Amino acid sequence: MIAYNLSLEYTLQPGWMAPFIDGLREGRAVARVCASCARISFVPLRTCLCGGTSGTWKTLSGHAGIHTRTTGTDGDFALARFKGASGFATVRLADMPPEATLGILVPATGDLPQLILGPERTV
Amino acid sequence: MWDSNVIVTGAAQTPFNRRKDGTGLRDWSADAFADAITMAQIEPAQIDALYVACESDFFSLQLNPSSILASELGLTGAAAMRCEGGGASGQMAVHAAVMAVQSGAVRHAAVIGVDPSASSLPGPAMRTLYGFSFDAWTDGMTGLTATALYALSWQMFAAKHGLSDAHLAEVTIQNRANACANPDAHLPRRDTAHDIDASPMIASPYRRLHCSPLSDGAAALIISHESATTRRGAPRIAGIGAATDHMHLGARTNPGDFAAKRLAMQRACSAAGIIPREIGLAEVYDAYAGAQLQALDALGLSDDLHADLEARAFAPGGRCPVNLSGGLMGQGAPVGATGVGQVATCARLLEGRYPSDLQPKLLPKYALADTHGGVCTSAVVTILQSRGAA
Repeated sequence: MIAYNLSLEYTLQPGWMAPFIDGLREGRAVARVCASCARISFVPLRTCLCGGTSGTWKTLSGHAGIHTRTTGTDGDFALARFKGASGFATVRLADMPPEATLGILVPATGDLPQLILGPERTV
Repeated sequence: MWDSNVIVTGAAQTPFNRRKDGTGLRDWSADAFADAITMAQIEPAQIDALYVACESDFFSLQLNPSSILASELGLTGAAAMRCEGGGASGQMAVHAAVMAVQSGAVRHAAVIGVDPSASSLPGPAMRTLYGFSFDAWTDGMTGLTATALYALSWQMFAAKHGLSDAHLAEVTIQNRANACANPDAHLPRRDTAHDIDASPMIASPYRRLHCSPLSDGAAALIISHESATTRRGAPRIAGIGAATDHMHLGARTNPGDFAAKRLAMQRACSAAGIIPREIGLAEVYDAYAGAQLQALDALGLSDDLHADLEARAFAPGGRCPVNLSGGLMGQGAPVGATGVGQVATCARLLEGRYPSDLQPKLLPKYALADTHGGVCTSAVVTILQSRGAA
């Protein structure tokens, strides 16, 4: 037997995704707006479903509806549709009761770019 | 122009399980290769190229496995490369070998699929590493696991097709029962619905028994041009097809549909000149129980899952037996070896050489090996054609 301990510390550069990554840390849903077809993608797509490759960034409200949910040993996750965006995003659910159908993007924990949906705040 | 004179002259695999005998991936590769080349009736010096599938450097701690294995297998001097595409890596290596032989540059190609389960790593570390099999910067960093992503996809498919947990149990029980006839299987079990319901929930509705295990093991193929061998009865590669879908499940028009698999199958059938209903048996990528049903739909092997399951169309003796090996759920899944093993199983079944009581007496004309990576992000299928019993 060969026992080997490996500990690695990575520093990854987000490149073109920097506005999205920075937004997640602050709890902002920064989406990509396709210059060709105006489709809004969140998670942002570098190449839109229409084939367009240029676009602009837009900050969404962060509100999302939960479409499909799974619960298990590693937590709760969902396919959620963010208001203003086309398609779904896969998110972690934090403190979301089983009956919840709506949530809002909350700041990522730690320094990782995480998509976390928490309860909508009541005013 | 499709060259249909490419044949599978050698096909073998080691047991897929968790090794506790001190052996490693070099040993498993050598064992599988030795059996395959014996079956091919050629010598190692006749191998022009080696294609290796080994999914993860994290598990093997070997960044250049094709060069290592070329030396280990006595193939120094042959061209050697690694093919990688997540869970689809094995069949990608098969396709690379087939295309090399079709090109005329290679007469005999060896394909090795191998992976260690890295079972010494803690479970949370394994789940984190497998999460990086998807988009590491979005799904991976968020902590989404493979099981969670598959569970979300399955729920959308099940809602559309009116399928339930009972159908997941049916697949689980059948595949593990098939594995009981396979001496190389990791999980030969007579699971019951009660066993499944009592197993821990991993990501609803998937419980532990709905999931395939990670295994240790290797599989090997020798792919030859018919003009370079006197070996008789070796099945023909009738068609191959591959396609991709969006990495992000949410970007897909229908996250429950395995669209890439549908496209790959269309391409393979076009090359083979057949329709899906002509497939007589299939090894289908059942990383999870629901994934098998999603695959059967996308591959065109079923137009009505309810009716076909009721008729036991995919059980041994049915219209198109599926996963006679036990599939990933029963036979096990050393990731890089999985797709190679599926093709090896089909090849041996089409020659009547499969070492299982489930070997059909009447050989079908066509068999299908179906593999994918991600949540069917990369789909790769191969259609084999029988040329009679060995």
